[in-house]
Amino acid sequence: MAHDTAVLVLGGGSTGCGIARDLAMRGVDVTLVERGTLTDGTTGRMHGLLHSGGRYAVSDQASATECIEENEVLREIASHCVEETGGLFVQRPEDSDEYFREKLEGCRDCDIPATVLSGREAREVEPYLADDVSRAIQVPDGAVDPFRLCVANALDAERHGARVETHAEVIDLLRDGDDIYGVEVRHDSGPGKRTHKAPGTTEEITAEYVVNATGAWAGQIGAMADLDVAVRPSKGVMTIMNVRQVDTVINRCRPKGDADIIVPHETTAILGTTDEEVSDPDDYPEEQWEVDMMIDTLTELVPILEEARTIRSFWGVRPLYEPPGTGTQDSTDITRDFFLLDHDERDGVSGMSSIVGGKFTTYRAMAEEISDHVCAKLGVSAACATADEPLPGSEDVRVLEEGMDDFGLRSPIARRSNQRLGSRAADVLETNEPNPVVCECEGVTRAEIQDAIDQSGSDLNAVRIRTRASMGNCQGGFCCQNMANELHPRYDEETVREALDELFQERWKGERHALWGEQLSQAMLNYALHATTMNRDNDPARESTQLDYAQFDGGA
Amino acid sequence: MAITDDVLVIGGGLAGATAALAAAETTEDARIRLVTYKQSTLRHASGLIDVLGYAPGTTDDQQQPIADPYTALESLPESHPYQRVGIDAVRDALAFFDEIAGDAYAGAHTDRNALVPTHGGTVKPTARYPVSTAEGLASDDRDTLLVGFETLPDFDAPLAAAHLEAAGAPFDARGVTLSFPGIGRDDAKVTRYAHLLDHDERVETPSVTGETGAREALAATVNPHLDEESRVGFPAILGDAHPAAVREALSDALGAAVFEVPMGPPSLPGLRLEDLLYDALESAGVRVTSGVPVVDYETVAADSTGENSTADETTTAAIDHVIVDRNGAQIPHEADQYVLATGGLVGKGVESNRERVTEGIFDCYVPHATDRYDWFVDDVFGEQPYARFGVVPDEELRPLGTDDNPEFSNLRAAGAVLGDYDYAAEKSGAGVSLATGYVAGTRAGEACQ
Amino acid sequence: MSDAQRRIDDGAPGEQPSTGGADGSDSDSDSGNDEFEPVQVFPEAEEMDLRPGADNCYKCSTCDTNCPVAEVDDEFPGPKFQGPEQWRLKRQDDHDIDDSVMKCSNCMRCDSACPSSVPLSQMHNTARAEYVEENMSKFSREYLRNRLLANYRRLAPLASMFPRTANVVMGLSVTKWLGEKTLGITSEREFPEFATETFREWWTDRGGAKVENEDKRIAYFHGCYSNYNTSEVAKALVRVYEHFGYEVMVPEQSCSGTPMFANGMLEDARRAAETNVRELAAAIEDGAAVIASCSSCSMSIRQEYPELFDFEDTETVAANTWDAVEYLRVHEDLTGALEDTAVGDEFDELAYHAPCHSRNQGLDGQTIEVMDAIDGIDAQDVGDSCSGISGTYGWKAENYETSMKIGEEMFEHMDAAEAETGLTECPTCSMQMEHGTGYEIKHTLEVLEAALGGDRAESGAGSGSNADAGTTTATESN
Repeated sequence: MAHDTAVLVLGGGSTGCGIARDLAMRGVDVTLVERGTLTDGTTGRMHGLLHSGGRYAVSDQASATECIEENEVLREIASHCVEETGGLFVQRPEDSDEYFREKLEGCRDCDIPATVLSGREAREVEPYLADDVSRAIQVPDGAVDPFRLCVANALDAERHGARVETHAEVIDLLRDGDDIYGVEVRHDSGPGKRTHKAPGTTEEITAEYVVNATGAWAGQIGAMADLDVAVRPSKGVMTIMNVRQVDTVINRCRPKGDADIIVPHETTAILGTTDEEVSDPDDYPEEQWEVDMMIDTLTELVPILEEARTIRSFWGVRPLYEPPGTGTQDSTDITRDFFLLDHDERDGVSGMSSIVGGKFTTYRAMAEEISDHVCAKLGVSAACATADEPLPGSEDVRVLEEGMDDFGLRSPIARRSNQRLGSRAADVLETNEPNPVVCECEGVTRAEIQDAIDQSGSDLNAVRIRTRASMGNCQGGFCCQNMANELHPRYDEETVREALDELFQERWKGERHALWGEQLSQAMLNYALHATTMNRDNDPARESTQLDYAQFDGGA
Repeated sequence: MAITDDVLVIGGGLAGATAALAAAETTEDARIRLVTYKQSTLRHASGLIDVLGYAPGTTDDQQQPIADPYTALESLPESHPYQRVGIDAVRDALAFFDEIAGDAYAGAHTDRNALVPTHGGTVKPTARYPVSTAEGLASDDRDTLLVGFETLPDFDAPLAAAHLEAAGAPFDARGVTLSFPGIGRDDAKVTRYAHLLDHDERVETPSVTGETGAREALAATVNPHLDEESRVGFPAILGDAHPAAVREALSDALGAAVFEVPMGPPSLPGLRLEDLLYDALESAGVRVTSGVPVVDYETVAADSTGENSTADETTTAAIDHVIVDRNGAQIPHEADQYVLATGGLVGKGVESNRERVTEGIFDCYVPHATDRYDWFVDDVFGEQPYARFGVVPDEELRPLGTDDNPEFSNLRAAGAVLGDYDYAAEKSGAGVSLATGYVAGTRAGEACQ
Repeated sequence: MSDAQRRIDDGAPGEQPSTGGADGSDSDSDSGNDEFEPVQVFPEAEEMDLRPGADNCYKCSTCDTNCPVAEVDDEFPGPKFQGPEQWRLKRQDDHDIDDSVMKCSNCMRCDSACPSSVPLSQMHNTARAEYVEENMSKFSREYLRNRLLANYRRLAPLASMFPRTANVVMGLSVTKWLGEKTLGITSEREFPEFATETFREWWTDRGGAKVENEDKRIAYFHGCYSNYNTSEVAKALVRVYEHFGYEVMVPEQSCSGTPMFANGMLEDARRAAETNVRELAAAIEDGAAVIASCSSCSMSIRQEYPELFDFEDTETVAANTWDAVEYLRVHEDLTGALEDTAVGDEFDELAYHAPCHSRNQGLDGQTIEVMDAIDGIDAQDVGDSCSGISGTYGWKAENYETSMKIGEEMFEHMDAAEAETGLTECPTCSMQMEHGTGYEIKHTLEVLEAALGGDRAESGAGSGSNADAGTTTATESN
């Protein structure tokens, strides 16, 4: 029978987008469906660490080796998503010398460049480190923007002919006997970009082969075809600071533990994390003690954090998996390795494989392995090129070096725009139109917002992840409205209003976890601006009953 | 030597200024001083004087705005600041404001609320509005052209026009986005726009040959887009020092009424209101000390007078003097009566950390849940407990301690530092500041006679 | 060639016998050394990281509405961008400060405006220093000119040795033309006149303090201007304080640093501050409070020193420094002493302008309050606008127009006021007031001296009166 697509990838996270790009570059016809916006699942909810492998250098040297290899690849192919911050494993007086030595040796065993710094040298690198930090190991950790990386993969997949369908939730697997031949999706009625279908409708998409890359949700997808995929979702909290207190990744040099990492991420620093198994990746408690622990524990490394402002916290769910019968009790002990479950081999049901476990840093290697597997199934012989071909935005690394253009923008805004857009900067920012800043906290101009709307339509959260607009210290209070304005006249007033409400509510969701001190003042100011000044909480445009204007003051 | 006055008002926003003015009016020759640390939140706000736009406690479902705020005041909960001062005080305070504002504000001709278009595109109920917005009322059915500017991304005129129609406004609205003549950079501040028009600076514009005045140039830019509409709305940037002259010039050149749509921070109408209040303070002889914080206080020593020698346990302490910090130097300021008008969370009169919510100067009791996860609800526009943080006053507006007794005998509180009302949801911010400021200032003035 | 230009070629003299101010001489002013040498603000840090200061910002833009430059010039993006926004966007290795930071006049109005205590002027000062260090050619006309203006104190001693000659030379149109063409110093302004006798010369001749009092001592920080140009202000301070029974000490001192901060010359400022902190701390140790008559000097010592430097005693000196009038208000019954005093017609009507740097210290209301106590004075506040000159800012040719645009509101209000005499506590504000209105401008201390009946008979000439143009010829400027 004729299929809609050769390969159907489920899940628009790093793994799914990576697979879609890989296969599309090999000339395979690919469709990717994602329930929400790209990165909505685990990818958009990580601390943004580009592993050097140092964190696994003692406990899991195979992973560590893979990390350092992929770390080097991503620096090349995704330079506009990666910041080469370097990392430190710092030791406090109460941390064991023995473990420090093991860590150093482990790094050297895995070919991870590692240098020991004295406490004073470490503080020269990072002045805000605690005075009693005694030693540190310097490794090539980096920071990566998972949103940009994921979007760049999707964009490149589309350039190679793939169809990427967001806001399309899989509601059923199409199974004929022992063969899975596609899915049924429901097109969400949110304000996303839907070039194919109307909101609220369902669509059957048939495929020669289905790849279940839904991570923590893989079990739910499997269950639609009565397949048992025993993912063990584990949640972790990330607390976002308003500014970068550090410009280097700071790891606590001790065996696994909660609250042991600070990652400088774009304009912020992210504190992480916890590791606790949950039963449902969509529904788990987000608790105060987790946020407090991040601040209190990491203050031991960087004292300024105690008084610093946090702008939000969010939780991510790791798609942990171990082969049935391993029987690990504590989720922190579950391997971070990934597993390719070929349901034909495993369950006798053909047409689908599931991919579980793994970590962001090695997404490309995972995608390569799965794509090889799928190509073998389909009889495609083309080789993987993802390690050599730069992603859109990283084709020309010179843009981030000296002499970058300022496009008539103020220096730091030009710099940040160039860092975000990479080699696409000129295409996006060269305009004869006025190009005011729309989001002041992050320095995002109209041209960049419009470029994101071109890509993702009226979904302002999709615009947000592409540009970082509304991710700064006002958490959208002052710019959500401006972003929404940019949708008009492409989209009608009602769509714009819904998009604004959706973004504003989404920003609030994370900001709730930072409601004290300066951020509570910010929240009240935001609330006053939107409710008092704009009356968005009682907007008559949303009323069912017509407002009787004649009852009110009509002027003197 | 302490700096000595009769009434000391701490806080320079709407509530503080009103309190100082009311105190000055109450007493002929008393010395009134207003100490304000930083600039007030007036410039964050729209410049509208909201009294009550929506009844509290009904935010879940869409509700109709209140047409007559005074009738609605009756049904407010007992703890609401309006109930504390009484409805007559609200009227008196509004009359007091009308007198101060003179012809800068409109709306006093009726008890009814007006519906003013907002820069978000909808309308909001308010009791008094700057004259610059008067021609734009939504109950007025004249067709309207809204003008936005390419370099001011927070107001999209065509979208706002469509939004007004969606809100059922009884007139046709159309929006255009234009280029503002004389603005060279995309990030020019709104004060720059206002200054251009205030001073009618010479600018070059494509619509006119050669250089021309900024007002004429702006009108020439708008004129080709005007199509029979009898009024034109601009974002609220039409001058700071001379707004009336700017509007008049535009109105004459366009042959249409001209009005402003209030904007978010920084708000020119808010700045003008601040100027108006500070001019009034100067005229009233109120001494203003700005730029320095009040950081501490001392109470009258219990044995200083001998009158309290019976050591009555329930005696309420009195403030003897407060300490003003000037770059590390501690300057005592003493007065007979004090008014606390330091604002809420935004104005920094109410502070918080991960464990507590506090009032920063006198440590007056601020009720709040011990668990900070009870400070909010999940719906961003739901009934937010944090929006109600503030001190609890008695009928005299004296902040009460945990024991329900006044914290101090000579301290009253006014404005957003008061708790138990959500000004954002109710649209009651300026009204509460006026009413409580007026009462606190009046009582303080009377007490030191 | 005028003194002004020679100064640059000769390099600045390190010390002046008249003041003994010990700033180290400059090694890199124009010796071709343009290698990057970071400003060692803190001994252990290459530069200050002010990103955490952005934590306080909640984007309300109050600072922007207080910026006199942004109001008249769209090229300046305002203090919010130059402060918390620019800092927040920075990474450790980013050094590309936007060049518009040089348009900031350092009036510091944003500081006292910010409802959230963002360290705006500290951010601007540091960014400006970084910009000058990283992006400004050390050979550029602007750099040399800024350096000259910032180090006015170096030029002043020479001029004041030959005040009459200097006054004439500075006043010659050919000098001004050269100043504009070669240095970018506006030809629109009159150079300030030099006093025929500096304050310190007068102080030495006088034999120092006339009152000795172990319990009431002040150390007078006179700054440059009242020493070299308006010595009558400094003398008034001495007499007023002696009237109240204070022992006045005049410690060794250097420039307060204000013009250096404003020009991003943080290294120069640091040297000057080091001297001042050391000398003033010693005076405080002797039981004195530090008193300044210039609002920018007190601002600098009180706020900028602790923000930018951390010498030993910086905080102590800051906490013990006062504005001259403020100290008397707090420690003496000043208004009581002024009740029933009167002054002559000289001061009957005054148009008072509160300098931005007074405003930032919360002192903008005090002068009118104090004047109100004196019979027969009608002092009117001419509003809260900025005068626009902001120290050296308005002296630069490229800023002159902006400076006058900013000052317009003040000029209008002065014109509207009854008075024909101006009153202020800031030397450069007074230049601007005079320049824009032609009024004579007085200092508050001069009025107090008149009211309290200070013995003015002992004084020599007040300010250098206009030198007789006949005594010099234009050849001196060749």
